[in-house]
Amino acid sequence: MRSLFASRYGILAVLAAVLVLASATIPEFRSASNLANVAVQSSALAILAIGQTLVIIAGLIDLSVGMLIGLIVVVTCDVMDGQSAMTAVAIALALGIGAGVGAVNGLLNNILRIHPLILTFGMLSVLQGAVFVYTDRSVGRTSPEFAWLANGDIAGMPFSALLLLVTALAAAGLLHRTRLGRHLFATGGHEEHARRAGINTARVRFWAFTLSGLSAGIAGILVAGRLGTGYPNAGVGYELDAIVAVVLGGTSLAGGRGSIAGTVAAVFVLGIASNALNLLEVSSFTQILIKGLIVVAAILLNQPRRRVPA
Amino acid sequence: MSAADNGAGERAGSADRALARLRSWCERHAIWLVLALLFALAAALSEAFLRPVYIFNIVRQAAPVGIAAIGVTMVMILGGVDLSVGAVISLSAVLAAVLMDGDPSNIPMALTLTMLAGAALGGVNGVLLAFNRVSPFILTLGMAVVITGITQIYSGGTARGIVAPGFREFFNHRIGGMVPVLALAFVLLSLAGIALQRTTRFGRNLYLIGSNPLAATLSGLPVRRVTIVAYALSGLFGALAGLALLARSGVSSTFAGRGLEFDVLAAVVLGGTTFQGGRGGIGGTVAGVFVLLIAFNLVNIVGLNYNAQLIVKGLIIIAASAAYTYVKRAQ
Repeated sequence: MRSLFASRYGILAVLAAVLVLASATIPEFRSASNLANVAVQSSALAILAIGQTLVIIAGLIDLSVGMLIGLIVVVTCDVMDGQSAMTAVAIALALGIGAGVGAVNGLLNNILRIHPLILTFGMLSVLQGAVFVYTDRSVGRTSPEFAWLANGDIAGMPFSALLLLVTALAAAGLLHRTRLGRHLFATGGHEEHARRAGINTARVRFWAFTLSGLSAGIAGILVAGRLGTGYPNAGVGYELDAIVAVVLGGTSLAGGRGSIAGTVAAVFVLGIASNALNLLEVSSFTQILIKGLIVVAAILLNQPRRRVPA
Repeated sequence: MSAADNGAGERAGSADRALARLRSWCERHAIWLVLALLFALAAALSEAFLRPVYIFNIVRQAAPVGIAAIGVTMVMILGGVDLSVGAVISLSAVLAAVLMDGDPSNIPMALTLTMLAGAALGGVNGVLLAFNRVSPFILTLGMAVVITGITQIYSGGTARGIVAPGFREFFNHRIGGMVPVLALAFVLLSLAGIALQRTTRFGRNLYLIGSNPLAATLSGLPVRRVTIVAYALSGLFGALAGLALLARSGVSSTFAGRGLEFDVLAAVVLGGTTFQGGRGGIGGTVAGVFVLLIAFNLVNIVGLNYNAQLIVKGLIIIAASAAYTYVKRAQ
């Protein structure tokens, strides 16, 4: 029981501890502008990680999302090139490309039946090639309205944080209140049992990948808005950060269990730690080491145990 | 009448059995069929693939990923996985170059310490996994970040260290004007890995634990010891891969091995070793490494630029894996 409790709520305790520790020891951390800054910096990753949570709960994984963000950033900025009139088109393109590539992942997974790690790794390579065939340098720039989505605020509340809140509530609602949500858990828990119970697992996998792609679309809008220009390497490494956050949040890589709240909390733990280390002027190299140690420690304390070693 | 029926039944039965044997053979060797087809295609497109010098070049090119894949295959037979291998490769390349410091007399010390460091880092993975039983996928991913941090701090973030004269020359020397030492080293390490997997108790234990960890524990197999040794070997082969990369490229960049863990993983899975453990083997992995590499060379020969190659590389990984899965499912 203890370990089940720890794996479900441990990360929330860690988040509280990190928050208290940082506020108590670093005066600059407490300022409203810095906290808003942490929220803005964390929201793109958090939204991406929410999509990854759905995929991992279904017993799959999606490595292609980082490069997908890169593609979206490049295409949207190139299409807008600073014109306000193109903002809506760019948003539609971001969401469409994201969900479209996700749907292709889902279809290929169902038709070819290859391991999702290999499939999405292959897709990562395809997308990387596509981005760099498109451009090997920064292209275009965001319109002011588009940039506002990532950097603006409504009455002091960053819009990107509101977007994260809405996405998180929608995803949690999907997981716990809809049939598709229950089927995601069932498919990830035991695919064969789910199939024999009459669940169309191919359809479930299709939607898991499509939603993951859509989350990359939303995250891509925020990343592009923050950068202001179409930088082809914008998405590099995002997929691993997202997976790390999902797992830190207590979602089992074996599938079948996990939570949106845990994932979002984990993103903020990493975001706050990185912000605090920046304020303390710790070198970026040492930060990498510390981040790795946090990940390893959190895994050892937090990941659901397998019954037997290997 | 019944005798005639029996005879027909027997004939059909033996034909079925022969067919079943053929299918099972195809299943186990599917990756070799894919490799043969790809090689035939390559040879049809370019004469170069029939020249021994070019073939040995490919073997030398394959060495870093291939050597790392030998160790990763072992932990995957065990039902684990090692995603820290790319970071170990980077660390080893930097560590070896710094320890050599441009002086040939430092080479033995540098190689020994680099291999020890790799085995030790792998051993840490093994100990944590043997006693904590968390997901190896995510633990080794976390260790990859830790090792990358260590490499960055150690090197100050830039390519440091000077490769001693003689080191690269030795590994790139062509025996009889044909076989590079590095290619030979890869072949020998593959054979050593296959021997370890096929003929030793350790190798048998890998399969037994991987196919049913609970039964292995209950029947008293040394699960923890085998786990630690397997991950230590994966770290050791990672270090050897880092040395191979340094010998091939001479660059001790702190990110030399970045992303290579996925190339390694693709090769291992193409070769028929599954994430579930208990099946597959190093032979298939070696074939998987060559499938990927010939595919990349093919793209090169056709004349596409590097960016277009990435697209083709991705499509080939997906297509080859799909073809392999199809052959396996056909029975």
